[in-house]
Amino acid sequence: MNGRRWWPVAVLAVLVAASAFPFYWAIVSSFTPEHRLFQAPSLIPRDFVLDHYRALFTQRSFWVPIRNSLIVAGSTTALCVALGAFCAYALARLEFPGRTLLLGAVLAVGMFPQISVVSPLYLMLRQLHLINTYPGLVLPYLTFAMPLTVWLLVGFFRQLPAELEEAAMVDGASRLRAFREVIIPLAVPGLATTAILTFVYSWNEFLFALSFTLGPERQTVPVAIALFRGQYQVPWGQILAAAIVATAPVTLLVLAFQRRIVQGLTAGAVKG
Amino acid sequence: MPGAEAKRAVEQQEARLAWGLVVPAVGTILLVALFPLLWTAWESVHLHNLQMPWLGRPFIGLANYLEALRDPRFWGALGHTAFFAVTSVGLELFLGLFLALAMNRAFRGRGLVRAAILIPWAIPTVVSALLWRFLFEGQSGVVNAVLVRGGVLREPLVWFIEASTAWVPVILSDVWKTTPFVALLLLAGLQNIDASLYEAARIDGASAWRQFRFVTLPLLRPAILVALIFRTLDAFRVFDLIYALTGGGPGSSTEPIALYTFNALLQNLRFGYGSALSVIVFGITFGLALIYIKLMGAELTGARR
Amino acid sequence: MLGNRPLVGNFRASQRLRSPGQTAILLLLLQIGCSGSPKGGPVTVTLPTSMLGAEAVVLRQQLARFMAEHPGIRVIQRETPDAADQKHQLYVQWLNARASEPDILQLDVIWTAEFAAAGWILPLDRFRPDTAAFFPSTITADRWRDTLFAIPWFVDVGMLYWRTDLVRAAPTSFVDLTREAASARRQHGLRYGLVWQGARYEGLVTTFLEYLGGFGGRILDRGRVVVSSPEGLQALMEMRRQIYEEGVVPTSALTWHEEECRFAFQNGEAVFMRNWPYAYGLMQDSASSKVAGRFAVAPMPASSGGSRTAALGGSQLAINRNTEHPEAAWAVVDYLTRPAQMLERARVVGQFPPRAALYDNPKLAAVLPIPPAEARLVIEHAVPRPVTPVYTQLSEILQIYLHRALTGQMQPAAALAAAQTDMQRLLNSVGLGTGAAVARR
Repeated sequence: MNGRRWWPVAVLAVLVAASAFPFYWAIVSSFTPEHRLFQAPSLIPRDFVLDHYRALFTQRSFWVPIRNSLIVAGSTTALCVALGAFCAYALARLEFPGRTLLLGAVLAVGMFPQISVVSPLYLMLRQLHLINTYPGLVLPYLTFAMPLTVWLLVGFFRQLPAELEEAAMVDGASRLRAFREVIIPLAVPGLATTAILTFVYSWNEFLFALSFTLGPERQTVPVAIALFRGQYQVPWGQILAAAIVATAPVTLLVLAFQRRIVQGLTAGAVKG
Repeated sequence: MPGAEAKRAVEQQEARLAWGLVVPAVGTILLVALFPLLWTAWESVHLHNLQMPWLGRPFIGLANYLEALRDPRFWGALGHTAFFAVTSVGLELFLGLFLALAMNRAFRGRGLVRAAILIPWAIPTVVSALLWRFLFEGQSGVVNAVLVRGGVLREPLVWFIEASTAWVPVILSDVWKTTPFVALLLLAGLQNIDASLYEAARIDGASAWRQFRFVTLPLLRPAILVALIFRTLDAFRVFDLIYALTGGGPGSSTEPIALYTFNALLQNLRFGYGSALSVIVFGITFGLALIYIKLMGAELTGARR
Repeated sequence: MLGNRPLVGNFRASQRLRSPGQTAILLLLLQIGCSGSPKGGPVTVTLPTSMLGAEAVVLRQQLARFMAEHPGIRVIQRETPDAADQKHQLYVQWLNARASEPDILQLDVIWTAEFAAAGWILPLDRFRPDTAAFFPSTITADRWRDTLFAIPWFVDVGMLYWRTDLVRAAPTSFVDLTREAASARRQHGLRYGLVWQGARYEGLVTTFLEYLGGFGGRILDRGRVVVSSPEGLQALMEMRRQIYEEGVVPTSALTWHEEECRFAFQNGEAVFMRNWPYAYGLMQDSASSKVAGRFAVAPMPASSGGSRTAALGGSQLAINRNTEHPEAAWAVVDYLTRPAQMLERARVVGQFPPRAALYDNPKLAAVLPIPPAEARLVIEHAVPRPVTPVYTQLSEILQIYLHRALTGQMQPAAALAAAQTDMQRLLNSVGLGTGAAVARR
């Protein structure tokens, strides 16, 4: 019986190795001096230099895009979880006319292709002098972050037993108070997962950040990396170092919360 | 009757509370999503070039749409997008199923695998695009080195000079990054299948393959459909990946419709024309979503029978 | 980590969520506050430049002197990419977003009309610059609808580089050019007779422009596209003949930009080269150049029906229309375009000044790598590319058809006719054309 079970592990091993190889190669190359980057690559690195990482923070002030990403993704997440929690609670636990339609509409908006709203958002932001500012990014981010948050939280709220608020209300509490004091504490895991996923999606966003910022002072990490330009050649060493630096925090987040993330990703989907 | 009246009062109060809770979030969504979409549609029937203010912003009806339909680069972009979607989603589904089956049956290392494959999903798409560009770059990128040393190629290939070879890193990068998502979706679906069904099939003498065909696949169909919906819609909207990997090149031979629209809007500043393209993109996305929802609906009603 | 909280009793979390609306507003306000610009102190003017090379050094020195003379103005240099199309894209992005910075812009000569018509740069007539001191062609390129929008900073012209040790004198006609290239090549066993930029990009149009002018043709005539003319056909066919029939120009030139041509000439592999002035100084460096001291420059040749033509390039300085400090910006522009500064640039970077009087100045003779008389001759033959806001799009159309004709994919006559039709249609569609398009097919 056990003899038949070796193939899944072997397959997994191969797939994981294939999945990890680009990272491995990027990490190795980020510690390789520039002139050796495209010469006779070998699996085991022969050199180890910190030039690229140093250049990132001395020549390119790479901490600026990191700061920008933290502020934008953090604000978006905070706003969306705050507003979205109330909205999701109503959609998940309260009966009112138009509920299904509203839920459907919120989900539909989440499916909007971003490119379809870039131009009017651009004109709006330009009118309000918000191009190249933090609010000028957070506001467009709500387009995809809010529906995502609402959808995930609706899923989590629905999982809670229906009688919970009833119990609190029987004791004399209002709906709202029941929500705050009973539901929220129980939904903290769901809120955390939602926050993590929203943060990850906001951190990785590219099109809006590319369209609504003008320069390094407000560009986020993905845009900054994509626009690394050398004078005559592409600075691969620095790009790879920046890639490693940019993905380290997300990687750690993922490793720490992988169960939750998977739960969040698959929750609404499979239950249908 | 007082009971009924009290009940209605409670219902109304609840509805009012609900709307109060819902309005901030929904209001924001309306402001930053729905309103802009309507504006895009309005822009699309005007001539509006931000670089040519002397032309004004006259109403031109469907002229932008007609221009798009007559534009070979538009059809090229649609074709590239369709090709990309079909190829990458197909590969992801196949590999994802494989991966999910392996993860479902393996006893060791599931957590490690899950962690390992989640990381490509979690990083920004442009970063993964740049990683893959690096692998295929130049004459002595890693891929060339391996293929030449392994005897597959006689001499290194310049991948990004020809459209046919430029698609390879693009598809591989997307498959690498999003197969985990598909695999996890399918794995969740697999884990929902009652193990007793396999028992019953095995007792009836079904082989592994027949078990897969007649137990696994049918019960996995909802999950597969969901994965298909998400991935197809995402693949259709592809932008970051191609912007950072090939820039749409060589020429515009890997340019998807979202990138073409972006160029029209923010490089050529043709907001009227670009808005028409945006509406077309939205329309196709909407159409695809409707098709899938119908399929899902049929699936659900079929399952209930 | 987060899953082990007690199920009830932790109310701090709920208090945080008490007033989400207020929190949101607070966050937004904080961010608006944080993104404001510094106030007070001297007026700050931003100038985008490249930060590398001798050019950056001399600019920094000139700006330092300016700031010493003008204590109320601070000039900040903002780094921008050197590649023209990247710079263009960046400018379009900033100006379209109505950013007030950078205050000063360094424009390629073909962008002035485009930015002026878009309403992105300030008309400069109010500052009353001394336009008569500059070469007329440079001022023409900087005018749109009779208003001046930019000041020439330095001038670039396409020139014919020729090997003084292989050829007696610079050829003045295309016939002579081809003949001498072929014979010198055969005699001395060189790989190429003549090299020019033939890749599908703007450089191809500048090369073509010189052949076109040499046969007496033009691209644009006041809103009418006239490139598909007998002169145009002669020019294009001359270029083709040089590649396929005479064999003096290699087919690989159809993928070359300026640098590839320079390397070919610098390594002693070509008798003649068409290129910009930047190559001169680089090729005089005997450490890397095999032809140091053995070449000279002259205007491109012409046939009897035309005149010797040099494509006009170079940089101009313009002012952002949304600038908050127009006078300060003008002060910087004015300073940088004064004769003394231009002389310094000529000395350090080898760039040609656009002020005509400087060419009689012995100081210029001492610093220019080329004798001023020769340089002046070429500049006076300079012809700007069509001054129109849609030049970039027109050029793209022309590039495609020229390249197809040169690579043999299309017949020259058909290519020019198609180019003319498409270019005219573009002009008409944006209200800038005056002529009817060539008969539809």
